[in-house]
Amino acid sequence: MEKVVIFFGMAPVTYFTRYTMIAALGREVPPLLRRWLRYVPPAVLAALVVPAALAPQGHLEPGLPAWAVVAGAFVAWRTRSVLWTIVGGVAVFWILRMLGV
Amino acid sequence: MKDFWRGLLATLPLAPGVVAFGLLYGMMARQVGFSPWEAWAMSLIVHAGSAQFTAVGMWETDGAVPIVLTTLVINLRHLLLGASVAPYLRGLSPLWKALLALWMSDESYALAITAYEQGRGNHLYFLGANVGIYLSWPTGGLLGALLGAAIPDPSLYGLDLVFPLGFLGLLTAFLKDRIGVAVAVAAGGLALLGTVLLPGRWTIIVAGMLGSGLGLVLEEVERAWKRS
Repeated sequence: MEKVVIFFGMAPVTYFTRYTMIAALGREVPPLLRRWLRYVPPAVLAALVVPAALAPQGHLEPGLPAWAVVAGAFVAWRTRSVLWTIVGGVAVFWILRMLGV
Repeated sequence: MKDFWRGLLATLPLAPGVVAFGLLYGMMARQVGFSPWEAWAMSLIVHAGSAQFTAVGMWETDGAVPIVLTTLVINLRHLLLGASVAPYLRGLSPLWKALLALWMSDESYALAITAYEQGRGNHLYFLGANVGIYLSWPTGGLLGALLGAAIPDPSLYGLDLVFPLGFLGLLTAFLKDRIGVAVAVAAGGLALLGTVLLPGRWTIIVAGMLGSGLGLVLEEVERAWKRS
């Protein structure tokens, strides 16, 4: 039961981080800030991809995941499809693993 | 309603990754003394993957306050995500904004912001993407806790690559010009540096802010260049 109390402590702080800026920028977004914010998605997406490819365990270690992401980048460039990027990257991972790379 | 379903269906390619990590989380929660119901409840109530993994790791050694504070720090990146999606939500009622914030995950944010960028996004699509992830994450956690120790590591099957590959697929929508490419390269490089050097939880927000800031700077430089 006391676990659930902690869950209800974690939930509002999480909600705070999700809701605050949506509420704060609810009316007018200053033009300069708006132009800055337009670059947030590519920055965040790249920041989620690159370490997962090159440092999956937290230290620099280019291995199978790096090759899978390189293959995924090629598929993404050609197809612009999330599904095919995932399928292509994971397929390359499996093939290289079966080959014992 | 059609847009809601489009958003929901857009989460399907990511579902194997969500469920695989849900299974792993459920198994770990079970190992530190959670019942399957408690593992499920945490996912339903908190709905924040990386924070939940960390919380479970701290469960036996740390108290409630450090766990809640760590949750806050790990989720600070959502301030940045919220800010970037906020301009698209301006016309909505406060209730809609509150509802969209509730289940906004990295994955559903990425799907929604890309759809907005491409002109096919709206609040129903965003809600559908949120709901899609909200359905699959707790399900994986419950199953993982029920199955217990029988879960193999997702990385053995490349399932840990589903999220980065999915984000990569979405990233292409933002690489329309040189500045977009420069932002992605800089943020990716900074994030790699941060992962190796910093405690992991700050990486995304720092790389996200600096990388996007660089975009604005380059835009200004380009304008000044054209004027002169």
